[in-house]
Amino acid sequence: MERDQKSAAARVLIAVLAIIAAALILTPLVWMVLSSFKSSDQVTAYPPSLLFRPTLANYENLARTTSFLAYARNSLIESGGATLLGLLLGIPAAYAASVTRASWPALATLSARMAPGTLFLVPWYLAFRDFNLIGSYTALILTQGVIALPIVIWVLLPVFDAIPRSVLEAAQVDGCGVLRSLWRIGLPLARPGIVIATILSFVFSWNFFLFALVLSDHSTKPLVVAAFNFIGEGSTDWGGLMAAATLITLPPLVLAIAVQRWLVAGLTLGAVKG
Amino acid sequence: MSTSLSSRQRGVLALLSVPAVGFTVLMVAFPVAYTLWLSFRATPLGHASHFIGTANYARLLHSADFWNSIRVSLLLYVLSLAMELVCGTALALLLFRMQRMPAILRSILISPFMVPPVVVGMMFLIILDPTIGVANWVLGWFGIAPSAWLASPMGVIPTIALIDTWQWTPFVALIVLGGLQSLPPSVYEAARIDGAPPHRVFWRITLPLLRPTLVTALILRSVDLLRFFDIIYVTTQGGPLNASNTLNIFTFHIGFELFQFGYASALAVTLTALVFGVVLALNQLRRAVAW
Repeated sequence: MERDQKSAAARVLIAVLAIIAAALILTPLVWMVLSSFKSSDQVTAYPPSLLFRPTLANYENLARTTSFLAYARNSLIESGGATLLGLLLGIPAAYAASVTRASWPALATLSARMAPGTLFLVPWYLAFRDFNLIGSYTALILTQGVIALPIVIWVLLPVFDAIPRSVLEAAQVDGCGVLRSLWRIGLPLARPGIVIATILSFVFSWNFFLFALVLSDHSTKPLVVAAFNFIGEGSTDWGGLMAAATLITLPPLVLAIAVQRWLVAGLTLGAVKG
Repeated sequence: MSTSLSSRQRGVLALLSVPAVGFTVLMVAFPVAYTLWLSFRATPLGHASHFIGTANYARLLHSADFWNSIRVSLLLYVLSLAMELVCGTALALLLFRMQRMPAILRSILISPFMVPPVVVGMMFLIILDPTIGVANWVLGWFGIAPSAWLASPMGVIPTIALIDTWQWTPFVALIVLGGLQSLPPSVYEAARIDGAPPHRVFWRITLPLLRPTLVTALILRSVDLLRFFDIIYVTTQGGPLNASNTLNIFTFHIGFELFQFGYASALAVTLTALVFGVVLALNQLRRAVAW
């Protein structure tokens, strides 16, 4: 009896602590969203206003006075292109590495993932300048592809490894070539892994800042770079900035929550399964 | 399987990796070699570059700004890492004690590290603003004097470490939770039969068994923290007074604001050596604590 009461008290305590942790995590995000619905007077008021009449003015301004939609399109083209590039190159490479049990291709792309971006930026900048590609979608898709490719390979390696060898061998006995067995057996069985790899690559190139900061121009800059430029323009329009911040965050957040169960395993590049 | 592959199949499999390998050589290996080469050259604007031996490296070794950036980077690294590991482990222990983690809680936990770092910077710019920020107002309820946060030369690095802790503690917690869930339950049962108090079970049993997981989290966070860029570039650009000028921010400044490509290359090579040095050392540690 006493033991039951003790464990019930422990359960309540755990629940309370978990709620506190969740609140700490959510508060900054909630504050960002609330600020995006404040008028310019309310958003700079001190003490900060907690109760206010919400306005959509900041969102309307974004659509009317900035090229927000064009930047969103840029983000979509660049992250989508990089993801497609990563999948096209990464799926066959991961399959081959899994079947032959070769570890070096995966390790090579992993070290590319660990190096600081500034290590590649100078040669990229000079080369793209020579080819007149600064500010082109080509340059941005190729460089963001460097982010996407390791993610695809590292998410898919364990997925292909998990396909029983006997299934692949049976296909071979049936006279299936390597390409046919990848197409007919590997791809269908790896479909959930490919979905995760697609979402993670997309989210990571969507969020990636440094390469586009240097290699995009006014007509190709993605949302993260455009939003950064909003900060500098004269006195900061906090409401507009928070509206932009909220909108930029939505796609990665929604996509990540959709695959949340596999997210940590994907993010740790195979180092942990969580 | 690999023994039963015919040479023709091996050939096709090798071809399958060619696009990815070619792309990596073109976009990564070749640029790295070029950066290395450039780091031994002077690159005056509008003139051809020329070989100057190790002069760029000598320059950085004699630069107060370089040593400042090393100090700032390491301070930020150690502070953030310590806070994220301690808070992450505590949070993981809490989650482990829950019988079932509600899906909504998992969604909340993954939110911070899915937010673009640029947005995280903007979000905390308004929260920590010295004149209109909500942080100072809330601290005022508890009688705590307002802080300049990101605008204070002394406070800027702890503040950025705090922001990074907010963003990455849940990630560390989820990794550690995975480690906790994979520990053999028999260990806990034995400890419970012995009547060991919970804190002793944690220090004597859980923590030592968790070491490989913790080192993995350490490695993953180290890579990101040593090349810290986005949040600083958005909030302080290395200021005030160089107080948050990490090595990566400093390298970017030299390369893409002053366009000194040779010197920037030497700095980038040094930063990469630092990152890989730490990762290799931690990898040795991982082998040492494996069980």
